[in-house]
Amino acid sequence: MSHTHNDHNTQHFYEGDQSKLYSGVMNPHFGHDITAPDSKKQVGRIWKVFWILLVVTIVEVILGMFFSHHLPEGLVAFFFLTLTLLKAAYIVSVFMHLGDERRNFLITVLIPLVLFIWFIIAFLADGDFWLHMNSTSPTRDVAAIVSIK
Amino acid sequence: MAQATATTADSKLWGGGRSPFNVSYGKMMMWFFLLSDTFTFGAFLISYGTNRFFSAVWPDPNKVFKAFPMMGHMSLPLLFVSIMTFILIMSSVTMVLAVHAGHYGDRKGVIKWLLFTIVGGICFLSCQAWEWTHLHSEGAWWGSFTDFSAPASSIEHFFRAKAISNPAFAAGAGMQATHDFYNFFFTITGFHGAHVASGVVLLIIALVNSVNGTYDRRGHYEMVEKIGLYWHFVDLVWVFVFTCFYLL
Repeated sequence: MSHTHNDHNTQHFYEGDQSKLYSGVMNPHFGHDITAPDSKKQVGRIWKVFWILLVVTIVEVILGMFFSHHLPEGLVAFFFLTLTLLKAAYIVSVFMHLGDERRNFLITVLIPLVLFIWFIIAFLADGDFWLHMNSTSPTRDVAAIVSIK
Repeated sequence: MAQATATTADSKLWGGGRSPFNVSYGKMMMWFFLLSDTFTFGAFLISYGTNRFFSAVWPDPNKVFKAFPMMGHMSLPLLFVSIMTFILIMSSVTMVLAVHAGHYGDRKGVIKWLLFTIVGGICFLSCQAWEWTHLHSEGAWWGSFTDFSAPASSIEHFFRAKAISNPAFAAGAGMQATHDFYNFFFTITGFHGAHVASGVVLLIIALVNSVNGTYDRRGHYEMVEKIGLYWHFVDLVWVFVFTCFYLL
């Protein structure tokens, strides 16, 4: 037998309790004191992210309540989408611990999301095109359709 | 040949027997499920956006979502949904603290933070129930606002002056947009609410198991971590729903 394969008997991991394979990045802490400095540091990071999310949300609400009517629509949309993506990044990276996982796992999860770039552009452009057709073609004109009725 | 074999064995290539990502099977599958759910929600929100882009007019969130419990007809745009958002962010924090306590095997901490998270989830669902009830009392529901011969006054209060003055508004685009807006609103917030509700059920199961010491006997609180991933995802979806429906 060559040594290219692991000689340890690991078959039982796959046949029995899958959770025995648990070896998450945080597992080494198990049974350690939760009041220890490294734990407190982690808790501090969680609360810091909470304050960031709260402040960003308050900024969004103030922008939505008082300013969104007075600024160009594109600029408002840009602000909101940037702040939304910022919040999403903090939630995924810190709360879901994706930032603490191995980089190859992070990439595996994030790469499929690239499809959204096509998805969003294609569909919104299509919607925009339809509006253009509705308002320029006489047979597609909403007013014309209603008057025919 | 023997040389090559030895080289392979010495390298850090994955040889089986452990997770190449240092992530357990269950946790990885939860991530992949969430990835698929991302595309489901993404498809919902993008179809909402497409519909909005091809509508000449669209209801203004500041006019639609302006009510607050016990405040009668006062116009308080975005206030109620801000509180809902705050509740969900808060419950996400208590969830990540439960996961953190689980990493350290701190059973009491897990129980405490799971309880707070469950309370947060139930508060959010209650808020959503109130909001749906309120919109329903204003005549909004799936398939509502279909009567094109109805007077413009029946829907004008959902729109900005600029939209009402658009000739397409009275010609039917206003009624069509109101109809579409509410169909999307109830479908997407309903789908999200169903996720929150199942999340609460999962959290209650995790709480019962924690109290019973199941996870201590198992030697880890991975189940809390997996349910935590799901819960944060629900919060994450809300961040996008909040932007698409209430802000933009």
